[in-house]
Amino acid sequence: MTDPIIPQAPEVPEAPAGPYVYDYAASPQRQVVMPKTVPLPSYRTYQAEVKAAAEADEAKWKKMQADYETAKAKAEAEGKDAPKPPVRPVPRKDDNDVKIPWPQEAKDADLLLLQAALGDKVEEIFEQAGELTCQVAKDAILEALHLCRDHADLKYEMLADQSATHYPAAAGFAFSVVYHLTSISRRKRLRLRILVPEGFVPESACAVYPSANWMEREIFDMLGIGFANHPDMTRILCPDDWEGHALRKDYPVVGWGQRDVAFREDRGGMIERIALQKAGQLGINLKQPKAE
Amino acid sequence: MFKNEEMEINLGPQHPSTHGVLRVKLRLDGETITHCKPVIGYLHRGVEKICENQSFFQGQVWTDRMDYCSAVANNLGWAEANEKLFGITVPRRAQYIRTLLNEFNRLASHLIWLATHALDIGAMTVFLYAFREREDILDMNEAFCGSRLTTTAFRIGGLREDLPPGFEKMARKFLAKFPTCLEEYENLLSENRIWKKRTVGVALLSADDAIALGVTGPVLRAAGVPYDIRKAFPYAAYSEMDFEVPTQTAADTYARYLVRMAEMRQSARIIQQCLDGLPEGPVMAKIPKILKAEVNEVYHATEAPKGEIGYYLVGEKGSANPYRFHVRAPGFINLQSLPKMAEGGLIADIVAAIGTLDIVLGEIDR
Amino acid sequence: MGVMQPSAFEQILITTKVEKVMNWSRATSVWPVTFGLACCAIEMMAAGASRFDFDRFGAGIFRATPRQADLMIIAGTVTYKMAPVIKTLYDQMPEPKWVIAMGSCATAGGPFDSYHTVQGVDKIIPVDVFIPGCPPRPESLIYGFMKLQDKIMTSSLADRYKDIFEEVG
Repeated sequence: MTDPIIPQAPEVPEAPAGPYVYDYAASPQRQVVMPKTVPLPSYRTYQAEVKAAAEADEAKWKKMQADYETAKAKAEAEGKDAPKPPVRPVPRKDDNDVKIPWPQEAKDADLLLLQAALGDKVEEIFEQAGELTCQVAKDAILEALHLCRDHADLKYEMLADQSATHYPAAAGFAFSVVYHLTSISRRKRLRLRILVPEGFVPESACAVYPSANWMEREIFDMLGIGFANHPDMTRILCPDDWEGHALRKDYPVVGWGQRDVAFREDRGGMIERIALQKAGQLGINLKQPKAE
Repeated sequence: MFKNEEMEINLGPQHPSTHGVLRVKLRLDGETITHCKPVIGYLHRGVEKICENQSFFQGQVWTDRMDYCSAVANNLGWAEANEKLFGITVPRRAQYIRTLLNEFNRLASHLIWLATHALDIGAMTVFLYAFREREDILDMNEAFCGSRLTTTAFRIGGLREDLPPGFEKMARKFLAKFPTCLEEYENLLSENRIWKKRTVGVALLSADDAIALGVTGPVLRAAGVPYDIRKAFPYAAYSEMDFEVPTQTAADTYARYLVRMAEMRQSARIIQQCLDGLPEGPVMAKIPKILKAEVNEVYHATEAPKGEIGYYLVGEKGSANPYRFHVRAPGFINLQSLPKMAEGGLIADIVAAIGTLDIVLGEIDR
Repeated sequence: MGVMQPSAFEQILITTKVEKVMNWSRATSVWPVTFGLACCAIEMMAAGASRFDFDRFGAGIFRATPRQADLMIIAGTVTYKMAPVIKTLYDQMPEPKWVIAMGSCATAGGPFDSYHTVQGVDKIIPVDVFIPGCPPRPESLIYGFMKLQDKIMTSSLADRYKDIFEEVG
C-alpha cells in the first residue's frame, strides 16, 4: 500500500516591501529587437543555402575522417588500440507531420509567360507551397500589372491583396511590396513582388486595379512607403497627426507614448486631484492632467 | 431669392446602426448624396504588430476579435494559412468538424447581418427572431470550445479535442427547426412592400465595378459573378460537399438579401452532410511543441461570410514568431465600394448600403 | 376635498422618501446610449435580444443620441482616435449620468497592449461599474447593470456634489 499523498502548501514568496512600481521598461512588449536576417523567400538563395550546407557537411565529414586517421596513426605509433572509426552522422528525422514547403523551380506556364514577355525586368520566378511568385524590377511593376490583367492568357482580373514588409537587415532594399492577384475565370492565384529601398516611391496600382486605393493608403500609414499618382495619399488607420510608421521593425508595439491620453476630468476635477494625491502617497507615478 | 448650398454632415463614429465605429463624411444636396467618404481607424488596435511579437500558436486569439460576428471563419483561415506555411496535413475528421463549425458560424454571421440590416431599415421584429436562432448556435459554440463569441476553436494541425457528447444531437435538433425559421424571416421580409421599396434598386454595384474594386463575397455574387472560394480553391472538407453557390443578377440590396438567405439554406445543407458523413479518426496531426519557421511566405484565402479573408504570413528562419502577419479583411476592401454605391442616392439609402455590405469594423481596422 | 397640511416632522419624512422615489425611478428606467465599439457590442445586443431580455430592467430603449440618455455602456476597445469622440459624447450627456465599462478592453485595454489602444476608458471618463470578460456573457452584463442599479438606489443627491462642496465651501 502506497503512502497517502499529503498536499504541501505551495511556497509563496514574500511580498516585496515598499510601494510596488511596475517596471515598464523590462516588459518584452516595450523592447525593440531588430531582426538580423532577411527572410525573403527566394529560390536562388535557397539553392545557395542548400549548397553551402552540403559543402559544410562534406567538409565536416572529411575533417572527422582526417582526425581519425591522425588519431589511428598516433595510437599505432604508441602501441595502443586504434580508436573507433567515425560514423557519418545521419540528420535526425523528426517524427511529426511538419513538411516545410521549400522553394522550387518555376514550371508553371504563367510564370514562364511573364518571364518571356517582360524579359530582364523579371528578377526571379519560383514556386513554393503551391503558390507562384514573380519578382519584378521596381520600375516595371505597372507594366507587369497591366500585362497580368489584360493579356489573353493571364487574365488576372482581381487584386486580392497588396501588402508590404520591412526588412531592415537587408542591403540594397528596405521593403518588399507584394501584390496578390486572383484570376476568377481561370481559378488561379499569382504573387508579384518588388523590392523597394528606403525613400523610393513606386507607382500606384490604382491605375490598373482601383481596389489598391485603400491598400496603398494602409501601406503608407503602417510603413511609410508613398505611392505615386495615388488619388488620396493620406493615413487611413492612424489619425492624421500620428508620428511614426507602426509596422516598421524599429517601432515598439506599445508605441512612443502617444496613446497615453489623460484628459480625464470629472465634475470639477476634484476626484482626479484627490486620486493623484493619494497615488503620490502610495508612490505610484501617474501622469498629470493637462491644464486645458 | 433662395440660396442653394451643399450641406456637409457626418454620419459619425457613434450612430445607431450597430456596425461599429464607422464615420462617413457626406455632402448632401437636399436629400441626395453628392459625395461620400468613409473614414475608418477608430478601432485600429494594432493586431498585426502585436502578432509579430507572439508565437505562431498565439495568433489565433487575435483573429477572433477581428470579424467578431463569426470568429470561427477567421480561425479557420488562420489555421489553414499556418498549416500551409509549415506543410502540415490535417486529418480528415478534423477537416469535417472544421467545416461543420465554419458553416454554423456562417449562419450566425448571416443572422447578425439580417438582424442589424433589418433593424436599420426599420423592421425591428426580425432582430429579435434572428438573435433567438443565433443563441442556439452560440450554445453549440460554447459546448465545443467554451466561449460563445471569441472562440479560438482550432489549433494548428487540427483540433484540440473531439466533439463533445451530445453535440450531434444539439446540431440535428437545430437543423430540424431551422428551415421553418428561415421561412419565418422570409414571410416577414421577402414580399414585404416596404422592404422591397427600400431595397430594390438601392445601392447598385455592377459586376465590373465589383471586380475592379476587389469586392468579394455575397456582394459579388449578387452581381452575377459565381466566385466562391469554397468552390474555386477548395479547402477543409468543401471538396467533398455537395452545395450550390447562389447568385443573382440585379446587384442591388434586395439581390444581396436573396443571396444571403439562399446561402443560409446551403449552409444548412452542408452541415447536414457533415453530420451524416463524419469519418472516424484522429483530430490532431503530430506537430512539435514549438513551431520554428523557415524562410517562407504564404497567402491563404478562405470564404468568410463577409467575403474573401486572406492571411499573408512570412516566416523567419528559426523564429517562433511570424515575421509578418497581414490579414486581407473582406470588410476593408468591400467598404471601398461604398462611395460608388451611395453617391447619387438618397441619404436614407446609405444606411441600407452600409447594412448590405455587411461590414465589421473589427476586421476593417484590425 | 383639500389635502391635509403636513406637520413639520412629516415634511422631513416626505423629503427623504422623495429621494428614495427619485432613486427608484432613476434606477428602473436607465436609458443607455448606443455605444458599441467592438465585440462586446455583439454581446450587448444579445443581452438586449430575446433570450437575455434587457428590457425587463427598464433599460430596453437604447437612445441614439446622448442628450436623451443617462447611461453609457462602453462596450469595446477604446482607441486613441476614438478617445476625443467618447469624451465629447460623455460631455453631451445630461446629469445624472453613469458609465459602465464593459469588457476587458474598456476596463484596462484588454489584450491589446499596443500603440493605438488606450489602456482603459477610465483614463478618459469616470466609470461607475467595471465588467470584466472577453467578452462578458450577457448574464455578466446584466449582473453589472444590477450592481449599477444598487448604486443608484443607495446614492443620495448630496453624494455627487459633496466633494465640490467640501473643497469650495
